[in-house]
Amino acid sequence: MRKSRSGLNQSLVRQETIAGYLFLLPSLFFFLVFVVYPMFMCIYTSFFDSNMGKNTVDTFIGFGNYKELFQDKIFLGALRNTVVIVVVAVPTVCAFSLWVASAITDMKPVLTSAFRVIFYLPVVTGSVAVTVVWKWMYNNYYGIFNYLLKSAGVIDKNINWLGDARYALWCIILILFTTSVGQPIVLYVSALGNVDQSLVEAAEVDGATPMQVFWKIKWPQIMPTTLYIVVITTINSFQCFALIQLLTSGGPNHSTDTVMYYIYYTAFKLYRYGYGNAMGVVLMLIIALLSAVQFKLGQSQD
Amino acid sequence: MKKLLALVLTLCMVFALFGGSAAYADDVTISLWTYPIGGWGNSEIVDKLIADFEAANPGIKVTVEYLAYADGDDKVNTAIEGNAAPDLIMEGPERLVANWGAKGYMVDLAELWDDADKAEILPVVQAACFNKAGASYEYPLCMTAHCMAINLNRFQAVGADKLIDLDTHTWTTDQFIEAVKLLAAENPNVAAIYCSGQGGDQGTRAIINNLYGGTFTDADHTKYTADSPENIKALELLAGLEGVNFDPAINGGEEINLFRQGILDMAFCWNIGAQLNTDNNDAGLTNDGDTIVCMAFPTDQAQPALCGGIWGFGIFDNGSAEKIEAAKTFIKYMADSAATADAVKASTYFAVRDTADGVDLTKIYDGNEIMSEYTKLMPFLGDYYQVVPGWAEARTAWWNMLQKVGSGADVTEAVTEFCATANAAAGK
Repeated sequence: MRKSRSGLNQSLVRQETIAGYLFLLPSLFFFLVFVVYPMFMCIYTSFFDSNMGKNTVDTFIGFGNYKELFQDKIFLGALRNTVVIVVVAVPTVCAFSLWVASAITDMKPVLTSAFRVIFYLPVVTGSVAVTVVWKWMYNNYYGIFNYLLKSAGVIDKNINWLGDARYALWCIILILFTTSVGQPIVLYVSALGNVDQSLVEAAEVDGATPMQVFWKIKWPQIMPTTLYIVVITTINSFQCFALIQLLTSGGPNHSTDTVMYYIYYTAFKLYRYGYGNAMGVVLMLIIALLSAVQFKLGQSQD
Repeated sequence: MKKLLALVLTLCMVFALFGGSAAYADDVTISLWTYPIGGWGNSEIVDKLIADFEAANPGIKVTVEYLAYADGDDKVNTAIEGNAAPDLIMEGPERLVANWGAKGYMVDLAELWDDADKAEILPVVQAACFNKAGASYEYPLCMTAHCMAINLNRFQAVGADKLIDLDTHTWTTDQFIEAVKLLAAENPNVAAIYCSGQGGDQGTRAIINNLYGGTFTDADHTKYTADSPENIKALELLAGLEGVNFDPAINGGEEINLFRQGILDMAFCWNIGAQLNTDNNDAGLTNDGDTIVCMAFPTDQAQPALCGGIWGFGIFDNGSAEKIEAAKTFIKYMADSAATADAVKASTYFAVRDTADGVDLTKIYDGNEIMSEYTKLMPFLGDYYQVVPGWAEARTAWWNMLQKVGSGADVTEAVTEFCATANAAAGK
């Protein structure tokens, strides 16, 4: 009797396992076809001199593309710009999101929701539409920024925001910032709402200041959310492409080139697939390394 | 009962499938991808041409996809790599001959060129459609000479209209300099050397090459010569000329918009298509109603040399002899038959030949004042040099060079670097 019950349990477990894998199958299929296979091909092709052409043959060149990469001034410039974007965007996005979330969490639910919608709007708006609006605001001839600054007497001559190497990258970072804060704010509002209120009340009863309550009670509890936001924002910042392609094409004077844009340019304009893939591999390694470090740091603080 | 019903429905579907296709079993369907070449970017106009073709050629069906210059090349390249290239494509020699043809993706159309074609089609156009090995990857339909435009009312307001010849549409370099100085006293944005990229590069090349008689490539189209003293002198002039601003934030299309809006007094990215545009006002008028006059680029030479635009059809070799034959039939119908007049008129450009299948194409725009006036510029059509290998990379390097000059870099160093990059691409 016990044996047959055990056999029945095993059969049920097996059925559930099979069902589970069957449910996973569609996702697994897409993951293998659209992530793992392209990733493998990217790494594989990066060791070849692979170009467009019906009669061209890919030639194995080992680490030739990688050696060329680190002697390519445009790539190094693009890497530097990408690092600037990450270094500036990630902390500011996280800090601003946390500040906004802290400020709106304790408001009336209607107001909290309203602010969440306002900050989330740029996220759900198409990047082309967002770019068109920002391009209009930055316009050298009739843009609203020049109009306001001239009206306020701050400048006496129009600034070519996207056409001047001194400002272009910062203009891109500002747009990236506005399109990046929406999701972190929503996540932080949710995380702050889940903080154990009994601990907060106990600390307040013990005489803790609001700052102490935040750093000693709330901050540790929202650390997993912070870690997720940092990793996601870092990856998004590293992959900044659409804004560059639609606004500046990497100019002026390569001042807004990013690694992602340079990959696109190399592969689709110069048709150097092997070289472009080598850049992709380097970018992947950098993102993986940084994400691992962030996870490690996050776990050690947890 | 349910099984019987299912069986009946299945049989119906199977019969419908085979029965339906049987009626068109002999049809060949070919795909045409077209860049926005005048009305060839407008589905209403193209649908009519395709319907006429299909009526005249039963058994051939044509599907059309419309490309934009901003991302059209990316779409085509992706399609090529995915073995999904269109059967037919409409564009110019710089893409069909110098790019996809040179890379081995196109069908050689040399056999389409009969003796009558060679006699009728302009030599400069023929030269652009063939590569050095004698293969033709484009069968041409229409052409134009790219020019510049001025706001006549603004010129009149500062007395600069006396510096231009409104009859021949020409002016000299000195007259251009004087006109810019007069206009700059009233407007800090007389003209823009747009250089953000994405098309319209012919305008920036033409103003620089024409001012002091420089050339962009050598006569054999094997080498870029933009670092010649004439070109350097022209770039230095433009960089130092008050009112002419190098602007890396706008492209050719945006320069046209700024000119139409009355912000700029001149546009370097212009042709008959722009002159005929009626989006915001009647053809030949700015948004505010000022008169737009097409002008040749100013030069100190005997006559200007305008960049040509030559557009026609190419066939991708997708491995189907049947489709290639159908595509050739399409090309001959559109570009060398009684229907060619309509196909050319649809483009709003000019025919590359005087007659097609006995039909006179020189009079297709009779009665159209704007087109008639524009024909005065056509004799200034210069060498079609956009067939140098490595054209795509050279074009990007050109924008970068202009951006550097605009930001105050040494002109000689910037053009030397451009030529080194472009010639390296040409040599690959």
